[in-house]
Amino acid sequence: MNLVAGLDFSILPQQLVNGLLLGSIYALIALGYTMVYGVLRLINFAHGEVFMLGSYAALFTSWLLGFSPEAVRGVDRPSTWVNLVVMLLVSMIVCGLIGVLIEFLAYRPMRNQPRIASLITAIGVSLFIQYAGGLFLPQSPPPAISEQVNPYRNEKVSIVLKPAGQEIVAQAADATKKAAIAEKAYDDAQKAGAPADKVEQLRNDAQIASNDASRLQTQVSSQTSGLVIPYGQLGMLITTMVLMAVLWFVVQKTKTGRAMRAVAHDFDSAALMGVNVGRIITITFMIGSALAGAGAMMYATVLRTPLSPFLGVQPGVKAFVAAVLGGIGNIPGAVLGGILMGIVETLVVWLDGLVPGLSGYKDAVAFVVLIAVLLFRPGGLLGSSKVEKV
Amino acid sequence: MVKLNKTFATTFGLTAALALGIIGASGCQDNSAAGGTTGTAGTTGATAGGTTAGTTGTQPNASPRPTPQKDGATIGDPIKIGLVASQNGDLKPWGDDNIKGSQLAVDEVNAAGGINGHQVKLRIEDSNSTPETGKSAAQKLISDGVVGLLGEVASGITQQMEIVAFDAGVPLVAIGATRTDIATLGSNFFRVCYTDDLQGPVMAKFAYDYLHLKSMAIMTDNKQPYSVGLSESFRKAFEEMGGKIVDEQKYQSKETQFSSYISNLKSKNPDGVFLSGYFTEVGPIASQMRTAGVTVPLLGGDGWDSSELITSGGDAIVGNYFCNHYNNEETRPEVQKFLADWKAKYGGVPGTTMGALGYDGAKLMMDAIKRTMDAKGTKSKDLIAALEDTVDFPGVSGKITLKGHSGNPPKRALVVKVTKTGQSFVKAYEPDEVMKK
Amino acid sequence: MKFWLVRLASLLLAVGFAFGLESVVGHQFPSIYRLVVLAGLYITLSVSLNLINGITGQFSIGHAAFYMVGAYSAGFVSKALFSHQPLVPQLWMIVMALFGACCAALTGLVVGLPSLRLRGDYLAIVTLGFGEILRIVTQNIGAIGGAYGMNVKPFGSPPQALWLVWLLAILCVAVCRNLLKTAHGLPFLSVREDEVASAAMGVKVPKTKVTAFVVGSAFAGAAGALLAHAETFISPDTFKMDVSFIILTMVVLGGTGSITGSVISAIALFAIPEWLRNLQDPVTKDPIQIPGPALVASIISVVIAVALFKAVQNRFHGSKPAKFGLYLAAIAAGFVCKLAFTPILAQAPGLAAKSFEASALRMVIFAATLIILMLIRPQGIFAHHEFSWSWVAKLFRRAPKEATA
Repeated sequence: MNLVAGLDFSILPQQLVNGLLLGSIYALIALGYTMVYGVLRLINFAHGEVFMLGSYAALFTSWLLGFSPEAVRGVDRPSTWVNLVVMLLVSMIVCGLIGVLIEFLAYRPMRNQPRIASLITAIGVSLFIQYAGGLFLPQSPPPAISEQVNPYRNEKVSIVLKPAGQEIVAQAADATKKAAIAEKAYDDAQKAGAPADKVEQLRNDAQIASNDASRLQTQVSSQTSGLVIPYGQLGMLITTMVLMAVLWFVVQKTKTGRAMRAVAHDFDSAALMGVNVGRIITITFMIGSALAGAGAMMYATVLRTPLSPFLGVQPGVKAFVAAVLGGIGNIPGAVLGGILMGIVETLVVWLDGLVPGLSGYKDAVAFVVLIAVLLFRPGGLLGSSKVEKV
Repeated sequence: MVKLNKTFATTFGLTAALALGIIGASGCQDNSAAGGTTGTAGTTGATAGGTTAGTTGTQPNASPRPTPQKDGATIGDPIKIGLVASQNGDLKPWGDDNIKGSQLAVDEVNAAGGINGHQVKLRIEDSNSTPETGKSAAQKLISDGVVGLLGEVASGITQQMEIVAFDAGVPLVAIGATRTDIATLGSNFFRVCYTDDLQGPVMAKFAYDYLHLKSMAIMTDNKQPYSVGLSESFRKAFEEMGGKIVDEQKYQSKETQFSSYISNLKSKNPDGVFLSGYFTEVGPIASQMRTAGVTVPLLGGDGWDSSELITSGGDAIVGNYFCNHYNNEETRPEVQKFLADWKAKYGGVPGTTMGALGYDGAKLMMDAIKRTMDAKGTKSKDLIAALEDTVDFPGVSGKITLKGHSGNPPKRALVVKVTKTGQSFVKAYEPDEVMKK
Repeated sequence: MKFWLVRLASLLLAVGFAFGLESVVGHQFPSIYRLVVLAGLYITLSVSLNLINGITGQFSIGHAAFYMVGAYSAGFVSKALFSHQPLVPQLWMIVMALFGACCAALTGLVVGLPSLRLRGDYLAIVTLGFGEILRIVTQNIGAIGGAYGMNVKPFGSPPQALWLVWLLAILCVAVCRNLLKTAHGLPFLSVREDEVASAAMGVKVPKTKVTAFVVGSAFAGAAGALLAHAETFISPDTFKMDVSFIILTMVVLGGTGSITGSVISAIALFAIPEWLRNLQDPVTKDPIQIPGPALVASIISVVIAVALFKAVQNRFHGSKPAKFGLYLAAIAAGFVCKLAFTPILAQAPGLAAKSFEASALRMVIFAATLIILMLIRPQGIFAHHEFSWSWVAKLFRRAPKEATA
């Protein structure tokens, strides 16, 4: 271990990856907040709930694909990547539609009203979805998407920076073999009906051997300074990047994207210039919500999160803070803010080694960073701080 | 501003003066009430120590428990018993089973003609899985005139209920609250489960002697008094045996991402990890641990007990061990009868152990009510005395003796292994084996 | 002389009302005692937030933080010191309320300072962030109970706090009302309307903003201190973000800037969920069950009725009675839809067998009420209006006037 002042620097790269994974989810949600704010100047508090519904959409899809708890209990069902793609698409489509529906039913009638009234409506929609979801969605016990739906769950990429000592690797391999032999001896004795004390003796041996094996294996993996990234998480990072690239393309290179930018820049002028503002707002809600849906599916499947109707609250708030941190209304800012948020949160837990008890503050640190940034750059990291005109 | 401040000051001064005068008149009465319950003031300190785990009372018999001042409610017709359970929130699976179990017991007694000819009515209130709501639920039931209270499954909620029940002089039979020091709050407190003073050492002994694990890491749910207390008792017992605790990571209920804690813990190379929290977090933790490459055995307390653990934990949770109150595979007649009755009424088997404990709690309460009525007692106060006299009550979860144990019955603890379809029995520990006298 | 007589009379009336309420509720309706206490606290909270949000126009959405500071500081001191001091519980509570108010006012000062630099949504987020930071810090301090919470129980039994709570609410209303009625309130209103213009007119904008924050949070802190003593148990979860949102909702729903609105919507929004929670069959005392088809049909028909209502509101420009008639027709259409949909939905498998407890629906109904009210009356129930006797008189006078005309 490379301990410096109580900090283990060998796990720093791994912690950064943990942060990046969490941050990419925050970034996907933050994009929805920031896009909606850009066109409507509305903090869409119900966005976290759209995210929650997306995770449920993924759950139900996985059930339909044959991975319901009853179906997988005690059996190993084979799965392919197609299942994952189907879940991702369903969850994106469902979220997109829900986003449009919310906009149509709750926000459209409020468009010419004071902003605080729209805000309260957003809070109302958020509460409504949470509690109505509580009535209809399975929540107790908290359901989780079966890990068997992920065919690559046991495969991982290891990036070795400094390998573990030859000796310990050999020891671990040796111990694993010994454990298997001892386990077999115990099983045989049990089946053959050997005397109880003999069986107990063998069980003890097998237990000790398997402990040694698992300890040495863990030691090998913790002495290997480097990164272990499961395929699922790698796929998640790639998917996130692809989605963001698509978004960038849509916003920067298409006609719709140009219209969106125009509406964000000046709502009334855009309308005067012939932009169909209503349609652009609908599209904005659809894209933002679909991104949240993608995040939700990956959050539930790859990051193994149990679902509940209140699932969206915490990530929702964090993503919202991320959007503000990056400069609300600014698309690259939301991505930057989200990833920063995830990394800061993880590093606080890592720093717990230096300052015991610090990990309890990890949710607070996000806000501390936010306030610090806002006090010095009131427009956020990438946002422009305009002086309000009289 | 000057004028405003002046008005403000005058208004407030006058209010205070008026209030003073009025309180002066009623002051004596308040004072005597405050003086009369010095016992409560003493216990407030103990409760407040709730999360400072070091104060976990390990010798519940050391000092006599304070006695409630009031006599409580009168046994009426129908006989009203209150149950506080989590019908909503994280602990809903337990709350639901608890309600089903208790209702089963009450229906059984009513079908057999009630207690001495009186029907029993079970009044249920929701605690919403939070201490605050649990407290007001208990208050509501007491103001409805229940003669005794049942519940809760979580220690944090039970602790608040006990404060209310103590004030009203109503007995409280806890279903699954295992934190030890709740029992020191008052002599009206009883439970049908074992305590963390048993559970922690049982798992420590199991880890050290049976699994031969020499160094352990702990993950504690810092929000739950149950988890904090259990971690502490495990740590103490494990270190006394000669084991080493290499790391403790603290998370809080409702967190869902544990990868950063796991990376910290992994670098300390533990032989095993003790997860003292509730199943809602244990499943994801186990699953995320395997993803991060931690393959050592995981151990835990009765907070793991839920059929959903396997879905959220996946392959990662299978083959790990936790401590439980009873097991559906047991052949004792009480267990077999309970399972048959459950199947007849609800179908299937109870998903969690709280079904059996809820059943035991209600049965124990009704048994005590019957003994109270036979002895011509009419008040909650007499019911407390009857509960205190319980000896060898044949519960589904084992024999329950409350006499002389300050509300904490000595009970057997089972270690079970998580399998792909449920749990399998591994080893049973008698209280004498692990608890030092 | 007359000024002081009126002051004294209203003071006596307020104190009399508080004690009257205490004795009526305490003796006649002990089962709702706690609810009346909480309702009083919510009035204080919503009126004090209205001072910051509605009257001064500073968008603060983290009011629960001040509530929490008051509760924890007073609770902690009370736990530590009560047994060593000579005051009777009632007087001690007043001292503690003052102490809680001071602590919260200090916090309000700290939170108010960023308001000099930030405005609008950014200020909102910072206040929300401050609230969360304070809550998380509280969660991590073992001495005040940490994440689990703290028992505050200096007195033997829970004290009679109701009169004090309501007196505080009245005091808060009185301060805000007097502020609006006198010249001292004008800076606050002008800052709300236009900061730059007020500065040009010589209004000390920073001082006004910070004063609003300090006074508003002091009242919230006093409310928190009383909560700690009345409930005897406080936990960080009591002061979550949702509580801030609910207080904000009370302010906006009542009409931003209207004290009357804040009071009425505080009571209404607090009472609706509580009433639904305790809804039970009058005979069997069992919770009322609502069948699934009826529930889904109600949701659909409410959406239809609101859409119709909104359409009438926006598109119809006829006479008032005709418009009123159409409103009624929209509501009636909703009822018809409900009756029509229920049997249709009853055919849906899975739904027919499901039923919901009324108490489980309470937050859904709460949220739906919120959305509907905002949709059909975005300016809040009272908009900018205040309750006054002349307004009541006008209300009664209007009808005959129109008849003669």
